[in-house]
Amino acid sequence: MQVEVSRRRFLQGSVAMSVVGGASVGVTNLLAGHGEEKGELSVTTKTGTSKATEVATLCEMCVNKCAALARVEDGIVTKLNPNPLFPKSKNMLCPRGNAGIQALYDPDRLKSPMIRVGEKGEGKFKKVSWAEAYDAILNGTDKFPGMGKILEEEQDNRSSFLFCAGEGMAEHTFKTFYSAFGSSNWLNHASLCLQTVVSGYGVTLGGYPESDLENAEYIIMAGANRAEAIVTPDTMDIFKRTKGRGAKLICIDPRFTNTAAKADKWLAINPGTDLAFVLALTFVVIKEELYNKEYVAKHVNGFDKYKINILDNNYTPEWAEKITGIQAKDIYQIARDFMAHAPKAIYYPGRRSTFSNNDFQLRRAMAIFQGLSGGIDTKGGLVFGSKLKLDPHEGLEPIYERAKARAVNKVERTKGQVGYSDCAVVSGGGSWVGWRNRYLENKMPYKVRGMFIYKHNPMMNMPNSAKTAQMFKRMDLVVAIDTMPSDSVMYADVVLPECHYLERTDPVKTFGGIEPSIAQRNKVLEPMFDTKPVIEIMGGLTQKISKPLFDISKKYDADIRDELANLNGKTAKEREAEVYEEFNLHKPFEHSQEYINQQMVQGTYGKDAVKSLRDNGVFYPDMDKYFKKLSGNEHQYYPEKHKSYTVNGGRAKTNTNKVECYLPNLTKKGVDSMPMWHEQYLFTVPEGKFRLLTGRHAQFTQSGTANNIMLRDLMHENYIWINRRVAKKRNIEFGDMIEVSSKVGKTTLRAYPTEKIGPNTVFFVHGFGEESEALTWAYKNGGNDNAVIEDIIEPVYGASSMHETNVEIRKV
Amino acid sequence: MSETTITADAVQEQSFIAKAKEFVFTIPVNKVSIKDLVDFEKTPRNNFIAVLTLAFIAMFVVGVAIYLSQGHHAYNVTREHPWGLLIAVYIFFVVSSTGLCIVGSLGDVFGFKDYELIAKRAIFGSIVTILAGFAVIAFEIGHPVTMMIYNVLSPGLTSAIWWMGTLYGIYLTFMIIEFVFLLKNDMKMAKIFGLSGLLVGLAAHSNLGSVFGFLNARPISNGVFYPTYFILTAFITGIFIAFIIMGIRYKNVFPEAVKTMLTGLAKIQALLISILIFFVTWKMLTDIYGGMPNRADVALHILGSWTFWAEVILAMVIPLIVILKDFGKSHVLLVWVSLAGMVGIFFMRYNLVHDTQLKPLQMMKIREYQLAPEWIHYFPSATEIMISLGGVGLCIAMYYVGTKVFNLDADH
Amino acid sequence: MARYGMALDYKNCINCKACEVACKEENGVLLGADKHRIWVGANDVDGEWPLLDIVSATFMPSQCQHCDDAPCQSVCPTNATYYDENSVVRVDPDKCILCSYCMNACPYDARYVDDRTMTVDKCNFCSDTRVARGETTTACQNTCPTKVRTFGDLDDPESEISELLRTREHFSLKAHLGTKPKLYYLT
Ligand SMILES: Nc1nc2c(c(=O)[nH]1)N[C@H]1C(S)=C(S)[C@@H](COP(=O)(O)OP(=O)(O)OC[C@H]3O[C@@H](n4cnc5c(=O)[nH]c(N)nc54)[C@H](O)[C@@H]3O)O[C@H]1N2
Ligand SMILES: Nc1nc2c(c(=O)[nH]1)N[C@H]1C(S)=C(S)[C@@H](COP(=O)(O)OP(=O)(O)OC[C@H]3O[C@@H](n4cnc5c(=O)[nH]c(N)nc54)[C@H](O)[C@@H]3O)O[C@H]1N2
Ligand code: SF4
Ligand code: SF4
Ligand code: SF4
Ligand code: SF4
Ligand code: SF4
Ligand SMILES: [Mo]
Repeated sequence: MQVEVSRRRFLQGSVAMSVVGGASVGVTNLLAGHGEEKGELSVTTKTGTSKATEVATLCEMCVNKCAALARVEDGIVTKLNPNPLFPKSKNMLCPRGNAGIQALYDPDRLKSPMIRVGEKGEGKFKKVSWAEAYDAILNGTDKFPGMGKILEEEQDNRSSFLFCAGEGMAEHTFKTFYSAFGSSNWLNHASLCLQTVVSGYGVTLGGYPESDLENAEYIIMAGANRAEAIVTPDTMDIFKRTKGRGAKLICIDPRFTNTAAKADKWLAINPGTDLAFVLALTFVVIKEELYNKEYVAKHVNGFDKYKINILDNNYTPEWAEKITGIQAKDIYQIARDFMAHAPKAIYYPGRRSTFSNNDFQLRRAMAIFQGLSGGIDTKGGLVFGSKLKLDPHEGLEPIYERAKARAVNKVERTKGQVGYSDCAVVSGGGSWVGWRNRYLENKMPYKVRGMFIYKHNPMMNMPNSAKTAQMFKRMDLVVAIDTMPSDSVMYADVVLPECHYLERTDPVKTFGGIEPSIAQRNKVLEPMFDTKPVIEIMGGLTQKISKPLFDISKKYDADIRDELANLNGKTAKEREAEVYEEFNLHKPFEHSQEYINQQMVQGTYGKDAVKSLRDNGVFYPDMDKYFKKLSGNEHQYYPEKHKSYTVNGGRAKTNTNKVECYLPNLTKKGVDSMPMWHEQYLFTVPEGKFRLLTGRHAQFTQSGTANNIMLRDLMHENYIWINRRVAKKRNIEFGDMIEVSSKVGKTTLRAYPTEKIGPNTVFFVHGFGEESEALTWAYKNGGNDNAVIEDIIEPVYGASSMHETNVEIRKV
Repeated sequence: MSETTITADAVQEQSFIAKAKEFVFTIPVNKVSIKDLVDFEKTPRNNFIAVLTLAFIAMFVVGVAIYLSQGHHAYNVTREHPWGLLIAVYIFFVVSSTGLCIVGSLGDVFGFKDYELIAKRAIFGSIVTILAGFAVIAFEIGHPVTMMIYNVLSPGLTSAIWWMGTLYGIYLTFMIIEFVFLLKNDMKMAKIFGLSGLLVGLAAHSNLGSVFGFLNARPISNGVFYPTYFILTAFITGIFIAFIIMGIRYKNVFPEAVKTMLTGLAKIQALLISILIFFVTWKMLTDIYGGMPNRADVALHILGSWTFWAEVILAMVIPLIVILKDFGKSHVLLVWVSLAGMVGIFFMRYNLVHDTQLKPLQMMKIREYQLAPEWIHYFPSATEIMISLGGVGLCIAMYYVGTKVFNLDADH
Repeated sequence: MARYGMALDYKNCINCKACEVACKEENGVLLGADKHRIWVGANDVDGEWPLLDIVSATFMPSQCQHCDDAPCQSVCPTNATYYDENSVVRVDPDKCILCSYCMNACPYDARYVDDRTMTVDKCNFCSDTRVARGETTTACQNTCPTKVRTFGDLDDPESEISELLRTREHFSLKAHLGTKPKLYYLT
């Protein structure tokens, strides 16, 4: 009866692929009307009723890492179910989590190591063995130089290699390689994502807090879209309670999002003006003395100065109305309501905060506003939660004498302090766009000639894709570790295919919060094709390169030479072996992931914890006692009295244990010590242009899921939101092709005229419009926002200001 | 049963078989060879019809081949518009059949002498049209063989389709038997089977109407209207075809008896069309009046579609005017008008099927970027068109062969 | 045996469509946007920016209503559509002749053609997958982030769904048609 195409057969080689790929031409089209839906194969497999195994794993379709149970029948993953045991994901898998199967069985997956044979960026590769790929990395080919040559020429400056990674369970493994390798150039998603919110809250509250949305009564969600940008457990906690069921939600967003649809009130704000809104809220609260006086007296630092700042600058709601577009009466109302509900009131911190140039100060203002309510480290407010500790495992961080410091354009600020020329504060991750642009402008203090990319897609993820392409072209050696032939992979010299997340065990991880736990991704299937988990890739690669690179270091590194010379009664050979041990890149990768995970857990929590992680994917102390199924839809993880609402006595976690309103140190770096408004923050758009906004969609994850055939069914491509009346004036109808252009580039996509966006703003979902032809479904599907977003960076941390670009639109 | 003991039953059985054999072998037929089949007057018009018929049959073969290889993919039917052209064409044929059956019955069942001379042709026509209808529907029903099995094993007695199908099956049997008796000039038996056939046919036909009438999901077709309307329009269709058949038979040069009959038919037609116009007008008015959602808006939408006006003008207005002009005396013109009338009737069927499905049942957007559903669009695929035209081709071909094999004129 | 029904706390729905994907994966439903057993409807929000009518922007998750008086069942010529022992409206693909009458007759657009068997398919409350394995939630209920659905036995007064229907106001879709749906929308 069932004529399903089995996944296994489906994946067998290129015949099946071509069926999926482009079978929709020819007779079918001529004689029937369904057009392109034709030729798509079924790649779903009905779950059976007989023997099946369930493996506890974790989803990797986005940052959240929800716990999943993979159902395996006859060697095929037929279903991913939510694992109810994990307090963070609370028995849910979102659409992307469910569609993880389609990523596993995506016929476009990278299936074996490849080395470049065409021009850079052309996407012409040759399949090779792992040994050949490692060899190409070390020794190069006729098309590109190897690491050996580069390090030789750069005289063992390990920083001549850049390492960059996207967020992921095994990012840690890759970072271990980076540390052992000894470079100081590390970049990740932070400056494109949450840099300013994390640091804004960090310096003000002493940490990036969680929101107790399960208990809050009043929530302001501004610049966050939890109904579509899914973050666990927030998304689940909040929307069960809105719509008159206990939590009042105020949504502040220039667009009418799905979060707005679930809110009690939605207020359209002018992009980039949230700071004025928060300052005005603060004004009302101070002027009307609505703040928690006792809390402020005990736990807030610099309040008097801040009070003067707010009152003297006259940050009234009437003032803010002109800037934000939000009516003064609404601001009064919200300020009063918020404080009336405090401390069970939350100004939601948000996650992606690379919005505008004032973002850091905005987050500071938000954190201070929360502080004034006293809703910190307390039930129903912002909380720090607790975290279960994991034992460390062996890493390697040798010091190479010739390794240069981070490639920053040093500026002397105050005594002893250095910073980027283009932003005030140097942070751990560093500014991606700042780094790339300095590289292109030849402002690097030394040559960076090679790069390793892990699970990251710079071509798609940062503003001004044209510049990113230029950077890639200029790099002598690019090694990409990915699962898919992404746009960035197209620029690689050597491609190392990682297996899919269901095919590997990843580093065990601890998830803090009100209900902390430890979770582990367990391997569900053996890797298909010639792919490996990154830990094995690193293992193989380091085995190949470690000794030869050490030989180069021996040549240039005076310290090493000294150490070798100092025989101390040993033979030269023995001595060399001993010194090499400190530099043996392979050392951190000697053990299996399973072994390492066991080492990290067993000491503190015992053997049962190791077993629980393997069998259940989740562990926390007393889980067997605490965890209860309450109903078909609800579970208890911790009894109420064991939840970590308060871990710091209701205080902030800064050094002073107080909320910091006033930070005079910042002025030394040219940054305001307190949040304040400046004229240049005003929202202005020249006549005929539009401010471009970007963001999430519930069914896609950034650039990583556009090729997912199941998700594509739910949303075929991204469309540009244009105000309906404006579109009408410009004769633009639904589905018309629109060219969006800015100073840095252009992209085309279809029009979606709607009242959900204002007249001088446009929006489209991030992550579409890939240029890699190897992505059957994603290739040139929709528009790429980063082709048009200008590379403006926020002055404090160098985060990308993604919503500062004005664009023109034109019907094509 | 052993070989040696032959029971009385068996004897009887054998004699029955012998009788049946005899009955069949005495049906008067003309011996025709292939040569006879291609032997027709080679006028340009005849040649054209012959070529067209062959082309249609060829299309049928191609259409069916595509259908067999691609299944329903070859059709433009969708989730929202599950019934397409083939259903409309099927209805077109079965309505024609019922109509011809009614016309045929006028003479041999009801004894109106004037109309006896068309009886055989009409009854034969009704067999041919319903066979064409079955040929078309066989390729619309996804699993015709399964249908035959489970229609019997697990009959859906609450299903209008089941009754319609079953009754049409019986009807066809009766019509064939009636036709045989007509050939044998056994008017008594012909009358019995004719009457039974007519009654079953009408039952089947109003059941076809109820296939739509029962759809309470579709306010536009839900109700008593279609079951009665179907019988009325069947009669009208029958008369249109009668004109065409006679036109062909007599090459538009009619003997007096035929003229009398045609004038009579035309007058009946005028009456029927007038009633139909009232029917349709009141249906439209009641649909629109009161503004019931999913009915009023659909009716208005129908009023705005050209296919509706094609139906009204070709099948109602023009025939009525032409008949009323001289009370049905312009026979030749009426043959042509009837031809156009059949085109109108085709649209009538097409509209019925399509309009029922015009309004989406799901009015919300279910994908992120789509316009809210408004009206369901449908245009038949090439395959559907080929099979439909093939039905017409089969119909003409079968009728043509019939004219050669049987003596279809009244035995006067 | 049981009489299965489902209550939907539809105001919790955020239109994430996890339920749609879960259903497809669990039940091996074909790819293709119109091949779905389950869907979430949305309206274009009423009003003009920035004065939009939040209330008009509700999401309506839906699927086969498992009507107690199901038009699809009464029109089926071969009884391919039938009530199983748990009052679930199901299709027997061996008997379905693809006459498509049920697709026309279902007032909820709940049915579609499965291109592999060329027979009509629809939500069957996971009867031949999860429920057959003894699980007590459907795939769509289980995966939902905001737990919109509660599936269970309407005849069991102790069941969660019975409790919900006793204590929460609810309505059903197109109730005036007399189809007696077993999908209940909680208000
Ligand atoms: N214009 C614009 N730009 C943005 C954003 C925006 O909203 N608008 N969002 C920003 C934000 S918040 C973030 S966090 C960044 C994210 O940017 P990235 O970190 O680049 O994340 P993705 O775009 O998801 O790309 C992930 C890459 O990892 C690959 N991958 C997926 N799974 C695996 C795996 O298991 N192993 C390996 N080795 N590779 C894998 C995918 O194929 C893909 O190439 O983008 C930022 N960029
Ligand atoms: N489904 C899904 N979920 C995800 C991800 C995903 O890719 N897909 N990615 C994950 C990651 S890495 C991140 S960082 C988070 C991101 O989570 P969020 O930060 O919540 O999501 P975004 O969509 O990037 O942006 C939030 C909203 O800010 C609005 N906005 C833009 N400018 C302004 C402004 O000036 N003021 C105000 N008030 N609002 C403004 C946008 O219209 C958008 O609706 O989501 C995570 N969850
Ligand atoms: S939110 Fe969705 S995609 Fe992200 S980890 Fe959870 S299930 Fe996976
Ligand atoms: S999974 Fe739940 S929240 Fe998501 S669309 Fe379905 S019903 Fe709505
Ligand atoms: S919703 Fe439609 S398919 Fe489901 S039982 Fe009712 S009529 Fe039948
Ligand atoms: S399509 Fe199948 S299930 Fe539907 S009415 Fe016809 S036979 Fe019954
Ligand atoms: S109950 Fe099962 S079959 Fe029905 S929509 Fe939900 S997941 Fe699909
Ligand atoms: Mo992010």
